[in-house]
Amino acid sequence: MATHEDDAGQSVPATPPGTATDGDGVARRRPLRERHVEETVEVAVPVRTAYNQWTQFKSFPRFSSVVLDVEQVRPTVTAWTIGYGPLRRRFAVEILEQDPDAYLAWRDLRQHPSHQGEVEFTPTRSGGTAITVRMYLEPRGAARVLTRSCRATRLTARLVRGELLNFKRFIEGLGQEGGAWRSTIRNGRVQHDHPEPPRSRVAQWPVG
Amino acid sequence: MQNPSGEEPETALSVTPPKKWAAGVPAVVHALEYSLEQTSPKKTGVDLLTMNQVGGIDCPGCAWADPAPGRRHRNEYCENGAKHINDEATTRRVTAGFFREHSVSDLAGRSDMWLNQQGRLTEPMIKRPGSDHYEPINWNDALGVLARELKALASPDEAVFYTSGRASNEAAFVLQLFARAFGTNNLPDCSNMCHESSGFALSETLGTGKGTVSLDDLHHADLIFLVGQNPGTNHPRQLSALEEAKRNGGRIVAVNPLPEAGLRRFKNPQKPSGIIGRGTQIADRFLHIKPGGDLALFQALNRLLLEAEDVRPGTVLDHAFIDTHTSGFEEFAAHARTLDWDDVYAATGLTREEIEKVRDEVLRSERVIVCWAMGITQHKHGVPTIREIVNFLMLRGNLGRAGTGVCPVRGHSNVQGDRTMGIWEQMPDTFLDALREEFAFDPPRPHGLDSVNAIKAMREGRIKVFLALAGNFVRAAPDSEVTEEAMRSCRLTAHISTKLNRSHTVCGDTALILPTLGRTERDVQADGEQFVTVENSMSEVHTSQGRLEPASPLLLSEVAILCRLARHTLDGKADIPWETFEGDYGTIRDRISRVVAGFHDYNARVTRPGGFQLPNPVNEGVFPNKVGKALFTCNESVVPRAPKGHLLLQTLRSHDQWNTIPYTNNDRYRGIHGSRQVVLVNPADLTELGLTQGEHVDLVSVWADGTERRAEDFVIVPYPAAKGSAAAYYPETNVLVPLDSVADISNQPTSKGIVVRLEPLRGAR
Repeated sequence: MATHEDDAGQSVPATPPGTATDGDGVARRRPLRERHVEETVEVAVPVRTAYNQWTQFKSFPRFSSVVLDVEQVRPTVTAWTIGYGPLRRRFAVEILEQDPDAYLAWRDLRQHPSHQGEVEFTPTRSGGTAITVRMYLEPRGAARVLTRSCRATRLTARLVRGELLNFKRFIEGLGQEGGAWRSTIRNGRVQHDHPEPPRSRVAQWPVG
Repeated sequence: MQNPSGEEPETALSVTPPKKWAAGVPAVVHALEYSLEQTSPKKTGVDLLTMNQVGGIDCPGCAWADPAPGRRHRNEYCENGAKHINDEATTRRVTAGFFREHSVSDLAGRSDMWLNQQGRLTEPMIKRPGSDHYEPINWNDALGVLARELKALASPDEAVFYTSGRASNEAAFVLQLFARAFGTNNLPDCSNMCHESSGFALSETLGTGKGTVSLDDLHHADLIFLVGQNPGTNHPRQLSALEEAKRNGGRIVAVNPLPEAGLRRFKNPQKPSGIIGRGTQIADRFLHIKPGGDLALFQALNRLLLEAEDVRPGTVLDHAFIDTHTSGFEEFAAHARTLDWDDVYAATGLTREEIEKVRDEVLRSERVIVCWAMGITQHKHGVPTIREIVNFLMLRGNLGRAGTGVCPVRGHSNVQGDRTMGIWEQMPDTFLDALREEFAFDPPRPHGLDSVNAIKAMREGRIKVFLALAGNFVRAAPDSEVTEEAMRSCRLTAHISTKLNRSHTVCGDTALILPTLGRTERDVQADGEQFVTVENSMSEVHTSQGRLEPASPLLLSEVAILCRLARHTLDGKADIPWETFEGDYGTIRDRISRVVAGFHDYNARVTRPGGFQLPNPVNEGVFPNKVGKALFTCNESVVPRAPKGHLLLQTLRSHDQWNTIPYTNNDRYRGIHGSRQVVLVNPADLTELGLTQGEHVDLVSVWADGTERRAEDFVIVPYPAAKGSAAAYYPETNVLVPLDSVADISNQPTSKGIVVRLEPLRGAR
């Protein structure tokens, strides 16, 4: 994870070479390679608040301009419906890694993922959070042809940036998270980290 | 088609080549043809267009999950679902006049199909002791008769309360509550006869008796096994999920003794390619396995995976998963390496090359799902087979991740939900304690009777009263003659039913028919119009609400019948507001939310579009079994063998059939027309047995008790059944399944792998 420790022992986001921060708090970096997108936004809430709200995937349509619906199939699987104007697209996403208050990595569930990405949450010196989204796009079929140009990647970067800013306004406006999911995921599998697993949550008897 | 009030038609057997694909335009034509024969175009339209839609009717045909709201087709049903729903919505009626015309003895001589075709039951009927006719009775008197018999019992354990998987969550909860407040855990259900082996195997190894996959998992799996199941006939909407998986690049391995049409190719009638194109190939690889050879197959695959790991250490097994989340790996691995390949060949009928090719498929796949049905569970070694499937999935970490898991495919639409609601004869103390807290009575703790043990108890005279909430127990149960004798020994039998079936004709001294509303019908109670809720195979809980006017103004809902019976019987025992429950099903759901784990805010959550999904512990990294980890097991090899001159019989449904009820005498996918009295046999076996196509035979089963069980006069049809096996229709051949022939551990009747001989009826043609 691209962080370093300051004298006070608080981690701050690394500033990779070639990046610049605008007045809007968004750090942008030229794509490392074709179809690689990376954007960072600093939000004025503690990392726990930002992370917790991010895990509430069903709330994304409340602030997003393109996410229309999110189904939480289970902790590691979500199905997203995105759209613009009359266009709609649904895709399922698998969360591969998740560490509370720190990190989340996902990939498109299809056999040949058309995109994958990661989000980092890093405390800032001011008590806020730097959220960095990295995405790698690998469109298939016609989409591959249509998005071959760098312009498509730039459009995606702009979209990610816009969404990050929407999230920033959302969580800063709320001031506190609307829920939380704080377990860990490793290799696509939830790691129960409570000494007593939630046995009472579902029926345990045999189902014929 | 039957003339509803006429005689049994004579139809001649004709045989055509088996179909190589399922569904397509013929499925639409057959569905509409049957629907319009049963009911009006308007009712057909209302039923079909609301079936499996948000706020509509949950199809009672099977328990397959619906796509998410917004992703459902306008026509979200299959041929069999359409037939089933309109079979219920039929305009035909069974009235008091019908019972005056037909004695019980007369009805007992009729076929299952004829009985079903008479139409909907319309008013309560009673057969009094010594009478051979049902006669009308009003509801109050009918429930009074039943209550008096119950109260007169020497012990509550002299009563049995059977549930079929059509019953809603609300009805199931009320039934188990009534039975336990009355004082017994005698709650057998149809689960005892279909997926009991799955429940026991999965509970032991994973800590949950339920499947772990959702539709999105199936859509995105790299490799799907279909083992011992026939989706084209028994769960046709599964084919849409398999089609999606294929479209996403997934591959499918089908393992079955019969090369069923739905395992080969699917023509989706909702897509142009399914109407004018070739459709979608389903199985990329078909293993023509002998009945009961699945345990050996998965043991062989597991050994091959272990050996592949030996060759390329660290690349085949998911050590992180095995080390962190499982228990018993070392013992399992040592045991697996002792497998005898000759046993594998004998049990499966497969070659080493065929099995190794499947291993290669597995090694190429990051995400694997195994689906199975009664081709696995109904074997004597059904539980060990499913445990071995779990071993297989665990080796490469195919549990708890997206696109992986276990998928027991269930039949009845709410069979899973009924169990969740407490319909089980062995409910744990945690559930019974919750009932006690909620309703201020102490539920009985001794375990009750399952289906097989209930029949045995009836035979021994220990059961006096049998009440069935839906279903056709007599025909669903094994050892038909024994079961019928057991039922006839009861003092009173009562059935809550929508249509006539054989269980009404094989009855106790006193018999009651308690006619009820169907899924398609409006259910109006004191608090207004009601809906009920159900849970599908993928643990999604949602509503079901009919739109049609009831078949008769005298019909009561299942919930109403049970609540009124409870009031008649319990005389205020326990703090249970039966009248409130009957008037407003929401009050039942409120109580369920406090008793059954996972149902918090039930009323609020279930009315959201699509309802809600119960959590699955495996997918949350939890294995709540005895060891707290996913459990590897050591399972002894089994080689099912038939003595010389015998075959291993599996009973199965035809395509034109719903559970025990055939709609016609045809089975078009298998090319059988005009008769169900057929036995399908491999041509090579026929040659060895000296039998010929078209010959009439009796099927005689062989069992340790020496009793001769005989299914008479079946016609031999050469068919590509696995060598050494035969197949014939259920329920006609249930007579061959001994009551004592049950699966180890689960006590599920073994309707597969029955040793039979075919005795020619010389001169009969």
